Amino acid sequence: MNILLVEDDRRASEFLSQGLRALGHQVEQRFDGEAGLKAAMQGQYDVLLLDRMLPKLDGLDVVKRLRGIGNDTPTLILSALDEVDERVQGLRAGGDDYLAKPYHLEELTARLEALTRRKGASSLNDRLKLADLELDARARKVTRGGKKIDLTTREFQLLEFLMRHARQVVTRTMILEGVWDYHFDPKTNVIDVHISRLRQAIDKDFTVQLLHTVRGAGYTLSEDP
Amino acid sequence: MGLVRLLRSSIARVAVLHGLVLAAAMIAVLSGVYIATDRLIANEGDQLISIELQNLTESFKNLDAEAFVATIVDRADDPWIRGGVYELHGPRGDFLAGNVVVLSDLKTPPGEWTEFEVADTNNDTDLSRQIRAKVEDLGGGYHLLVGHDVQDRRAFKTVMLHSVIWAVLATLLFGVIGGWWLARRISRTAKAISSSAARIALGNLTERLPLSGNGDEIDTLVSQFNELLARVDTLTTTLRAVLDSTAHDLRGHLNRIRGAAQDASLKATSPEETSAVTLVLTEIDRLSDTLQGLLRIALAESGTVPLERVDLSAITADLVEFYQPVASQPLQADITPSLWVRGHRQLLTQALSNALDNALKYGRGSTVSIRLVRHEQHALLTISDQGPGIPAEQREWAKQRFRRLPGSSGLPGSGLGLSLIAAVARLHQAELNLQDAEPGLALCLSLPLSHE
Repeated sequence: MNILLVEDDRRASEFLSQGLRALGHQVEQRFDGEAGLKAAMQGQYDVLLLDRMLPKLDGLDVVKRLRGIGNDTPTLILSALDEVDERVQGLRAGGDDYLAKPYHLEELTARLEALTRRKGASSLNDRLKLADLELDARARKVTRGGKKIDLTTREFQLLEFLMRHARQVVTRTMILEGVWDYHFDPKTNVIDVHISRLRQAIDKDFTVQLLHTVRGAGYTLSEDP
Repeated sequence: MGLVRLLRSSIARVAVLHGLVLAAAMIAVLSGVYIATDRLIANEGDQLISIELQNLTESFKNLDAEAFVATIVDRADDPWIRGGVYELHGPRGDFLAGNVVVLSDLKTPPGEWTEFEVADTNNDTDLSRQIRAKVEDLGGGYHLLVGHDVQDRRAFKTVMLHSVIWAVLATLLFGVIGGWWLARRISRTAKAISSSAARIALGNLTERLPLSGNGDEIDTLVSQFNELLARVDTLTTTLRAVLDSTAHDLRGHLNRIRGAAQDASLKATSPEETSAVTLVLTEIDRLSDTLQGLLRIALAESGTVPLERVDLSAITADLVEFYQPVASQPLQADITPSLWVRGHRQLLTQALSNALDNALKYGRGSTVSIRLVRHEQHALLTISDQGPGIPAEQREWAKQRFRRLPGSSGLPGSGLGLSLIAAVARLHQAELNLQDAEPGLALCLSLPLSHE
């Protein structure tokens, strides 16, 4: 991934870009809002990593200006402010996702992955397919190998979320936000239990397992183990 | 019933009181006038009679008996005083002249006043006239009675009394109307103030109370109150700014530390290094969780978060469904649908999630039940477990920050869960009670319903 990182905290920027480079991404760094906006307008980036509070030009203003000139590079806003209401503001300004500091590198990369993929795959597609697992969002129907699978409403939403992010790592936080719209950590293994129930429903009677746990990060729905 | 309710309203009470006070003042003033006038008229009448008696006494001295009797006869026919009566007795007590015959019956000693009634000879009716008279000893055995009709005085009294009654009734009526108008004006201002105050209490600190603009005492009060509000607003804004910048600063530091630790973990070469760095990362995460918890509590307590109408029933039902799979006994939910409250969805959800999590954790595998019902103008949410509960004397203590109950050391938690619930409850003007569920703990939250 080709990433533009705009962050005025030089040390944090250094650690983050090192971490991202170690994972095989290209990272360009800018340290204030104006320089960030200029770079974003001139370069071709897969994703924009933008701090919320930047000198010279605020992070939110950078996104607004970019969106104003038709630049829709996926943007993840990083913020040291509490995300309770800040998050809404960030998304309203045109940001695609929001992550509060301090964050886990795994969480950040999973979200970057989701953002860049989202652009390609049509998120409006009603018929989702992974190997022999099929989901019809409109008819609310799930089949595997042609066999109908009964799911509760929430299990269905969970599966739909995972299928829209197929072959990507999704974190527990992403699931909480995407499926339940919960923006806090419930501190229990509730998500794991929901996932294992879903796994029971879709993987139990089949040899190829689709729903995998990614250690230290979250889950992935994929035909490859 | 309607009247009782009406009288209970402060406007009606003020109006009636105002009317009564005015009427009482009117009664006092008019009674004074009445008594004084009555006395004045009575004195004037008595004076007239005294003067007439004096004149006649003089005449008696200057005239002989026959001429005097003739004078009295003339006077009796055509009294000098309106409604005057005369009676002259001779030395043997015999009637000599006059237009009344009462002296022998009255036996009034000379120099004294007397009152009596005589038949009205002018009319054919059997009406009688009230007479007030004085008797004088003229000397030589002659006695003279001169009196006059006090009918006029009585008529005056009646007219006066009627006037007083009407005046008092009119005063009462206008007093009530005036009082009503006055009280309604004040009550309208009070209502405007109280509805503004209610909105301000809900967290809208930028709102100000309305000024009527006529510069009266109420305006002075309102503008002073507005100044107070501005001060509270400034303090709250400052507090929020301090909170935000502290949060920002601490998170920035934590982020750098975490970045460094993460960096170190990528470069770790030995298992010892890896485990040391992992420990650091775990501690940083725990620290940022605690910071997050404290900041959320502070945010809820600052009262500066915007509230909107939210469906408490839906939020509760979603949480029940969310926690259902981790409960060892199925959750028992009894949720009245569509109970809307004014709230902050995320904070409310997090607080209720904490409550449910606590019930599942401290209930130790017992059945947890969730009940959401409407009680008058409130949504009443009760989450109860059948665990060991909290002793009554520790319930207030448990709501404070970093309090963990004895025996919970083996369970995960930061000691902030219940304080967040308490702070969120305050933000929502909700009442939070910890009760004995016999056995277990019942957490009761009573939130004011929102109608729109």
